[in-house]
Amino acid sequence: MSYENWLNYLTSAEKNSMISGRLRKVLYKFPDGQQMAEDYSLDTGIVLRRAWRKCKQLMGQPEWEVELGEEPRQLNWSGNKANGAGGDVDNTHDDDFMLRESNSAPLLTKRVTKKNVEWRIRNMPYPLEVYNVSASPEQRSIVVRTTNKKYYKVIPVPELDRCGTPPTQANISVHHQFNTLIITYLKPAILCEMEAQVLLLLKDVETETDMDDLLKGLMAK
Amino acid sequence: MAETEKIEVRDITRIERIGAHSHIRGLGLDDVLEARAVSQGMVGQKDARRAAGVVVQMVREGKIAGRCILLAGEPSTGKTAIAVGMAQALGTETPFTSMSGSEIYSLEMSKTEALSQALRKSIGVRIKEETEIIEGEVVEIQIERPATGTGQKVGKVTLKTTEMETNYDLGNKIIECFMKEKIQAGDVITIDKASGKVNKLGRSFTRARDYDATGAQTRFVQCPEGELQKRKEVVHTVTLHEIDVINSRTHGFLALFSGDTGEIKQEVRDQINNKVLEWREEGKAEINPGVLFIDEVHMLDIECFSYLNRALESDMAPVVVMATNRGITRIRGTNYRSPHGIPIDLLDRMIIIRTVPYSEKEVKEILKIRCEEEDCIMHPDALTILTRIATDTSLRYAIQLITTANLVCRRRKATEVNTEDVKKVYSLFLDENRSSKILKEYQDDYMFSEITEKEEEFASVGGGSKRRSEAGGGGGDAQAMEH
Repeated sequence: MSYENWLNYLTSAEKNSMISGRLRKVLYKFPDGQQMAEDYSLDTGIVLRRAWRKCKQLMGQPEWEVELGEEPRQLNWSGNKANGAGGDVDNTHDDDFMLRESNSAPLLTKRVTKKNVEWRIRNMPYPLEVYNVSASPEQRSIVVRTTNKKYYKVIPVPELDRCGTPPTQANISVHHQFNTLIITYLKPAILCEMEAQVLLLLKDVETETDMDDLLKGLMAK
Repeated sequence: MAETEKIEVRDITRIERIGAHSHIRGLGLDDVLEARAVSQGMVGQKDARRAAGVVVQMVREGKIAGRCILLAGEPSTGKTAIAVGMAQALGTETPFTSMSGSEIYSLEMSKTEALSQALRKSIGVRIKEETEIIEGEVVEIQIERPATGTGQKVGKVTLKTTEMETNYDLGNKIIECFMKEKIQAGDVITIDKASGKVNKLGRSFTRARDYDATGAQTRFVQCPEGELQKRKEVVHTVTLHEIDVINSRTHGFLALFSGDTGEIKQEVRDQINNKVLEWREEGKAEINPGVLFIDEVHMLDIECFSYLNRALESDMAPVVVMATNRGITRIRGTNYRSPHGIPIDLLDRMIIIRTVPYSEKEVKEILKIRCEEEDCIMHPDALTILTRIATDTSLRYAIQLITTANLVCRRRKATEVNTEDVKKVYSLFLDENRSSKILKEYQDDYMFSEITEKEEEFASVGGGSKRRSEAGGGGGDAQAMEH
């Protein structure tokens, strides 16, 4: 029941930080080769996005895995994400994908607010009675089931792992509106404490100049 | 399922092409490495095959790196056939790279680069990697192809597990995979998300009563549980060269498909060697040394030989099998003569397997196998004549006559090739001996015959004479071209 390990892990990383717009972006480079990027809102001090870049064995350039926040995704997403970002202009044909979930498939996003951790599952047209959201302490995750057997998802909760608490059913509340299932998990006190500690840690990290301002300045000249 | 029917018809009409050695399916050895007289497409050459079997065993055990084996023998005594047999015996898991000695001469790449690429193509690395796979039962599959037959195909598939169901859009490449595997509703499949490989596990139990009769090999499996997308540990074999290409920054992995790799820096290679050794120590990877086969090895020059000398000593070297049909000849790039055109110091590191000319009986057996391979029915008398031709001229010429005689036979609407057909093609097509004889007889009527041998030697100082001396060992046909 402690977040010591996580804090130590963060301290061990080489950290870089910069401010862009109303966001503070922090890049962690851990000694084991992993990288993590976080976006903090300057207004609320809450993490908006967090992504990991894990080492792949076959080398090559590993991709970012988004743990939290919206994935940058266009409305008419034709190719797969790797292609869109890669800038291979002549490869962005419509048919250049292996396999993708259809546009109507449920889509899970996660965000963190001051009090809660929230998951939204879009494209879920079924009424609220269909869903069964339960905490599964042995899997250390939250499991979403549907009685009509259309959707099933084991949602890991890495935040709770980091402070060593298993998820509890009491903290979960479920909501359904506009084709979206909203699962809210009330942050336990220890998690709030951990986040505060992390913010304290980040205070010591030097912040580079605002790139946007810099660019604007250059444009003016 | 109208679409799938259409596709199947297409697949059936595909023609398998027959190559010079496509009848070979292995070395034809029994369990104790004794050579059977006629087996797996191999005939005779017992000692050489037994020796090759020992080499195969050595490669399988994978302990010894950097051994060199030389297959030496007269032309058309089955050197390449033995190499192909070795490749077949080793199976698809072990990398087997086949190249010709002259392949290394390219304007885009240095000779040693080509050689080291070939060496690294022959070392496999088995890597355990975690990948995302999709595992589920097919509920519905739709593949729409445009009426014109060509162009964009659109595919959709619905997969389910016991808990959930998801629709997927299919890309063009993966549609091909689905068609190849003949996936239908009710099949339980896995899809590797990264590579797009589709694998059929079997049919779902719930669909067991769809048909009254099922094939013996139909496997029934349970519908998978839980989520459709899973992380699984898979093992795959890649060659060191592939890892090189992926990691040489300038090209990226696209170079793997375009084939244009250019030169790979030595630093990259060193890095990868270290990484692979590291993986091996951690138990993530296993090194799987294969075989590099260099045909016509006398075409390599002295630099290549000296490079090979060094390269074979590295502990990441594959087993190198070479073949040559030369006797004592000049080493390319020098004026020294040496057995097989290979420097003595390299020869010293080799074990040499000798192939001997086939006996008449064996030749007949080979011709019989080739007839079968080319779907040609031949009368025994015709086969005897063909054997006679093969012993008088060459085995290759006789094999050429099989195809041509078969065509002549079909022209007269017969099914069996008889002696007349063979005689006819024998008169239609000259063999190398007869051709050179004719050339000698009528040399004066051909163009440029007025230039005598001596004058020619004066005209072309270095190049011409050099070329002739090399061709001299090769065979009569090369000689005939020169005159």
